[in-house]
Amino acid sequence: MTQVPKCTHSQKARGIIIDRLARRYAGLRNAMAFVVYAFTLLPTLIVIPISFGGAGEMSFPPSNWTLELYEQLFSSSAWVSSILQSTKVSCLATLLAILIAVPAAYGLGRFDFPGKRLVLFLVMSPMVVPVVVTSLGLYLYFSRLHLVGTTIGLVLSHVAYVTPFVVITVMAGVNKLDPALELAASIMGAKRLAVLLKVVLPQLRPSIIAGALFAFLMSFDEVVIAWFITSPETTTLPVKMYTSVQWEISPIIAAVSALLTMLSIVFCCLSIFLLPGTAEPSR
Amino acid sequence: MKLRNDGILWTGPATVLMLLVLFVPLAFVVVTSVWTPAGLSLAAYQRLFGSALFLKTFWSTFEVSISASLVSLLLGYPIAMHLARQTPRMRSIYMVIVLVPFWTSVLVKTYAFLVLFGRNGLINQALSAIFQMNIEVPMLFNRFAVLAGMTNYLIPFVVFPVLASLLAIDRSLYMAAEVSGAKPARIFFRITLPLSVPGVLAGAFSTTVMSLGFFVIPALLGSRKEAMMSNLVDFYTREVLDWNMASAIAVMLLGTVTLAALGSDLFMKRESRSRTPKAVPA
Repeated sequence: MTQVPKCTHSQKARGIIIDRLARRYAGLRNAMAFVVYAFTLLPTLIVIPISFGGAGEMSFPPSNWTLELYEQLFSSSAWVSSILQSTKVSCLATLLAILIAVPAAYGLGRFDFPGKRLVLFLVMSPMVVPVVVTSLGLYLYFSRLHLVGTTIGLVLSHVAYVTPFVVITVMAGVNKLDPALELAASIMGAKRLAVLLKVVLPQLRPSIIAGALFAFLMSFDEVVIAWFITSPETTTLPVKMYTSVQWEISPIIAAVSALLTMLSIVFCCLSIFLLPGTAEPSR
Repeated sequence: MKLRNDGILWTGPATVLMLLVLFVPLAFVVVTSVWTPAGLSLAAYQRLFGSALFLKTFWSTFEVSISASLVSLLLGYPIAMHLARQTPRMRSIYMVIVLVPFWTSVLVKTYAFLVLFGRNGLINQALSAIFQMNIEVPMLFNRFAVLAGMTNYLIPFVVFPVLASLLAIDRSLYMAAEVSGAKPARIFFRITLPLSVPGVLAGAFSTTVMSLGFFVIPALLGSRKEAMMSNLVDFYTREVLDWNMASAIAVMLLGTVTLAALGSDLFMKRESRSRTPKAVPA
């Protein structure tokens, strides 16, 4: 009888020690995690306050808050035209990529056919080939076709560059569809087109929109291909940023960067809203 | 259940696009690398292996890629562990911290590092203010800057797979270990770490393969000494105007990346086969 309380007592003591240890480890773990969170997030966010400082200073926090850099950005025709060019290229590339990638995702997700593995390899290969190799190839190839420096050449290259990511996003949606619904609709006498438009596409809408957002942002931010195959007349925003970081760090870049960061925050929130649970697209 | 089997029609446009806009250009690179005015020759490759610049760049590409991958693994793991311990709701909130940089242009992040690390950059300004003296730690245009930039870019690619394998660990294992009196460190080294190996390997391999082809970060944050193979391709295309050499380097880069990707794929498959008896969920 006397041993029972003793035993519980020592167990309790041990429990407290382990609790304290566990708490200390938990504190260490959290501290480590928050240091790394800061390291990942800080460079992205710091450009926002910097962009509101004047052109002369580069300090944090800015001593006086102004919109000077934004005024300079929007009054410079070179920067504005590169923003417009990037917008045009990414809109066209997104549209074409959706038209090509959505059927491909449906075909790959829904059917088995001879050569499927080969098709999958071909469609996914832009993810593995280093972009600089593709860019050099496009440069050599397009100089034969007189497509270097043209918008259409850049749009086509960007379609190929973003297609695998759209295919992956939409294929995840296709895999969640219930094929019985399509079968039911066709048994009820719906034509194939009607099945697609009224049964398949409405269900795929969130993943198609998420894929489109992804495609737009990837094309809008793409530097290397554009660096190889654009001419001064068709320069995109990332190429303009790349060259101005390389030669003279123009303070205008702070304003551009802040705008790009805000754009990615908006797109990130939209994608989480569209595809809850699958918040991590594989880029 | 299969509807009418016309998968080839659905995937046709995408396949044709890839052939015309990716594989034909790749063929151009390969042909340009062996085609000289005198006919077919491997002269460019002979020149490559005699070139001290190429050999140095080749090795430093490996060094930088592997070290960037290891550092991002070390930094990404605590984040993945932290995320794995949250409730699903809190996890999606913390996930935004990882996802916003992931969606942000690499140029924005590179520019931010230029501002932070510069000789009069924000970090040196802060250090000078704290110690009341003029401090100019050289942090830019060296390997430190390149590794910081690359790691910052790569961390999400480590967090996603590691988090997936941490979430797959059976909670009751932790309970059993705690009930048996294992201390936190022991639980970490005996349960958490070994069971997260598949995610760790996936993250390490994919980030290494990705790093081999990096272009913007070494070009803007490094000096000539940190140039990677991608930058050498650019240098020969743009400054030397020697497309023969540029293509040969591009072929070497493509071969290296393909071998690395195939090798890690094979390794992962063998790893997962040797683990299946222990029933680790994929």
